[in-house]
Amino acid sequence: MTEPNLSEQESLQIIKQMIDTAKQEQKDDGKGWIIWGWLLFTASILSFINHYTAWVSQYFFWNIFGIASLLLLLYSVYQFLFVKKTKRVSTYTSALFEQLNIGFFISLSLIILSMNTRGVNPIQGFALLLGLYGFWILIYGAALNFKPSVIGAYFTWACAFASLYVNNFSLTMLIHAIAVLGGYIIPGYIANREFSKSIVEKNRN
Amino acid sequence: MFKELDPILHSQLRLAVMSLLISVKEAEFTFIKEKTNATAGNLSVQVQKLKEAGYIDVSKQFKDNYPLTICKITKKGVKAFEEYVTSLQSYLGKN
Repeated sequence: MTEPNLSEQESLQIIKQMIDTAKQEQKDDGKGWIIWGWLLFTASILSFINHYTAWVSQYFFWNIFGIASLLLLLYSVYQFLFVKKTKRVSTYTSALFEQLNIGFFISLSLIILSMNTRGVNPIQGFALLLGLYGFWILIYGAALNFKPSVIGAYFTWACAFASLYVNNFSLTMLIHAIAVLGGYIIPGYIANREFSKSIVEKNRN
Repeated sequence: MFKELDPILHSQLRLAVMSLLISVKEAEFTFIKEKTNATAGNLSVQVQKLKEAGYIDVSKQFKDNYPLTICKITKKGVKAFEEYVTSLQSYLGKN
């Protein structure tokens, strides 16, 4: 089979087109940030309100959140071990994020355990949690060149520092909710909007 | 003197496959087929040529009794691609 002769410009065009196609695969729809963001936000706000209304015990909503997270984790482990999913394409960023997710979860567990079993003050514990969120948000923003998350990371860290110096649990919850709004929810919706836009553009071309 | 363009890479479909694979960790055959708009038969032939040149690794897996072909660029492939782009730049600079 003879192949048509390629000019240098055509070669360059093919390279550019294929690299652009691959870039599309690196985009994230932001749904993870939106779901986790709303879960964390709801738990924080309900804990904040509960501080004044005293419906239930102080950590009731965080315990519910913890149980839900644990169930989600068990489901993910089950999926990973028993439902072999084959991805059509694996990018370097998706491989990096998979490893980082494990690291994030281990670090998160360490802080939560220290709060629940080793006497770390929950107010400081939540500040440390915010510090950890900020780290993950920054890596995500930097790896995907997504500015709202980079800004969100610094915003979350600013909230973490502020949270470290408050002496009131309800205020800690309020700061936590605001941090999650700026670090998770808003960047998540922006990512989702950009992702949807890129899909529309891709289908148009 | 201009370096001759690598004949393995200087082909529309093979270049498209390599450009796609250089940007990702690994990709499944059907993904490459979809993105390059190639026919399965033609793509198989070109993938085989790239494999024989040592530019890509091809591994076969099974999922629910269906075969899956996973392609991944090799170090040799990355080097060849970089050299191809450098040569291309020198040609474009000439014009």
